[in-house]
Amino acid sequence: MTDPAVALEKITKTFPVPFQRRVIVALRDVSLRVSTGEIYGLLGPNGSGKSTTLKIILGLVSPTRGQVQIFGHDAASAQSRANVGFLPESPYFPKYLTAAEMLSFYGKLCGMRRRELAKRVDELLELVGLTAARDRRLGTFSKGMLQRIGLAQAVINEPEMVVLDEPTAGVDPAGTRVIRDLILELKRRGVTILLSSHLLGQVQEICDRIGILANGALVRDGRVDELLIAPDQTELVLEHASPQLVDRISKAAAEGGASVIRAAPRHRSLEQVFLEATTEK
Amino acid sequence: MSGRRPVVSLRRINAIALNTFTELTRLKVFYFLLLFALLLIGSSALMARITFQQELQVLKDVALGAMSIFASLLAILATARLLPQDVEDRTIYTILAKPVERFEYLAGKLGGVLLLLALSVLLMSVVFFVVLFLRQQTLLAETARQMTGLPSAEAADAQANIRHAGVTTTLVLAIVIIYCKAALLASLTLFISTFATTNIFTIVTTVFVYFIGHLQGTAREYWLQNAGSTVGRRLFLGAIALFFPDLQLFNVVDDVAAGAVVPVTLFAKTAGLGVAYTAIYLLFAWAVFYRKEL
Ligand SMILES: Nc1ncnc2c1ncn2[C@@H]1O[C@H](COP(=O)(O)OP(=O)(O)OP(=O)(O)O)[C@@H](O)[C@H]1O
Ligand SMILES: [Mg+2]
Repeated sequence: MTDPAVALEKITKTFPVPFQRRVIVALRDVSLRVSTGEIYGLLGPNGSGKSTTLKIILGLVSPTRGQVQIFGHDAASAQSRANVGFLPESPYFPKYLTAAEMLSFYGKLCGMRRRELAKRVDELLELVGLTAARDRRLGTFSKGMLQRIGLAQAVINEPEMVVLDEPTAGVDPAGTRVIRDLILELKRRGVTILLSSHLLGQVQEICDRIGILANGALVRDGRVDELLIAPDQTELVLEHASPQLVDRISKAAAEGGASVIRAAPRHRSLEQVFLEATTEK
Repeated sequence: MSGRRPVVSLRRINAIALNTFTELTRLKVFYFLLLFALLLIGSSALMARITFQQELQVLKDVALGAMSIFASLLAILATARLLPQDVEDRTIYTILAKPVERFEYLAGKLGGVLLLLALSVLLMSVVFFVVLFLRQQTLLAETARQMTGLPSAEAADAQANIRHAGVTTTLVLAIVIIYCKAALLASLTLFISTFATTNIFTIVTTVFVYFIGHLQGTAREYWLQNAGSTVGRRLFLGAIALFFPDLQLFNVVDDVAAGAVVPVTLFAKTAGLGVAYTAIYLLFAWAVFYRKEL
């Protein structure tokens, strides 16, 4: 039997409020499982506990109650992180290092050797489109560039799982696409991905399963396709349909005991329009 | 990939130490401090000449004093901001999210500071020794000229005195002691910064411990003499000594500058004390840090 990539068992996390008796309850009895090889998306409003959940998984924060296992190892042990890469939200990296130095520093922390690192660093810089910024100090990087180099850092040792806290926050649409493609590429290689995001459209597009946190409780958890099905509705998209044809379909539907809820021109997504406009020659 | 990994990896500590060293050397303030120290040591010859007597003695006094102060200051100032900075920048999340033990992180940080201190002390020593050697040669030439008419035994005596006051093994040992003290202070600062809420608190507390460390030896003798020495009192003093090292031992450096003969065992004892407390404070730091919420 293989261990799941992540198993949270009834996790509760409270933060004490300084100088008061009150505590902030960040997570209440959250149980969650991420299987190997899937993309799991964590959704929820600001302050609902997404980042806290991810930090607990990485052993950066210890849960008040409950069990966390990463590939069968206790999350508190450094061993559990040997095969995990992490991109924190709004990442900051040592400002005084250049992009290439930073990647090799994190590689060394993962126990990589100098020779294999040199190759891997070039490869990753190319992959996230930062080859030109290779020898620039991170202090001069824009938010989106930091996010990209952060992603490169997370996968430096080819981990079996990557945990990404809002990987596309502050990244332009083209960069977002790069990151999305990278995530899909990782999945193709069998890497488990756990991410949090506010971009529902993207989560819907790339995730296999999602969980929704509200106020520290996991209120939904399941496969995206199953969660999104409106059980009693069917979608029909027509091309070149005349108003008369739509009329006829409505009538036919009424005869069959159904009703057409909406018949209007189909809209493209803003992302499609934006990308079309900005990549035009 | 499989197989048991060692509990503490020197390679990871090394990576963090080198990174910390890089961080510190890329701060401009470090160069100002170092430059200032080097200038002071360089000009110690000038200061010594104004006194007209015991010139080499005064030179050594000024230079060793400057080295001791700058090494200590650098140790405290460089270490105090290391942890808070990483927490504030959240770089600590990315580092500890790698398979890094918290002990390795602390040991690496301290290692980086020790490396920086070693380099600074080495640089200061080189400048110091060059200045001392040049002054000594000039003095030797001068005395040789002045004493041409005097009996040769007296002249040889004066020459020997000057030679004796130059670069000696004792002087090198004194500099090792200065380094050990700085290492102890760095480790102490790191420990305090694991629970301090501000950098100012860290620095002030370290300086406070520093003074208690200098006073405690005298206070202890006074107390035991007047109140009598019981087992309870000795245990209490032992507990205090665990947190506050008897820094008076490090005054051996002043004796060296004054030209006193210092037994090697005293050097060994003092250096041992420095190394032991550096290790103890690192363990204390780990005890606070290993389950700390970040
Ligand atoms: N170190 C801390 N001390 C006190 N409270 C904390 C701490 N970290 C998080 N919290 C609280 O826990 C709750 C959950 O925070 P968390 O950062 O997990 O939210 P989030 O879902 O990631 O929000 P966002 O979408 O804004 O990133 C919040 O109420 C927050 O104030
Ligand atoms: Mg968050």
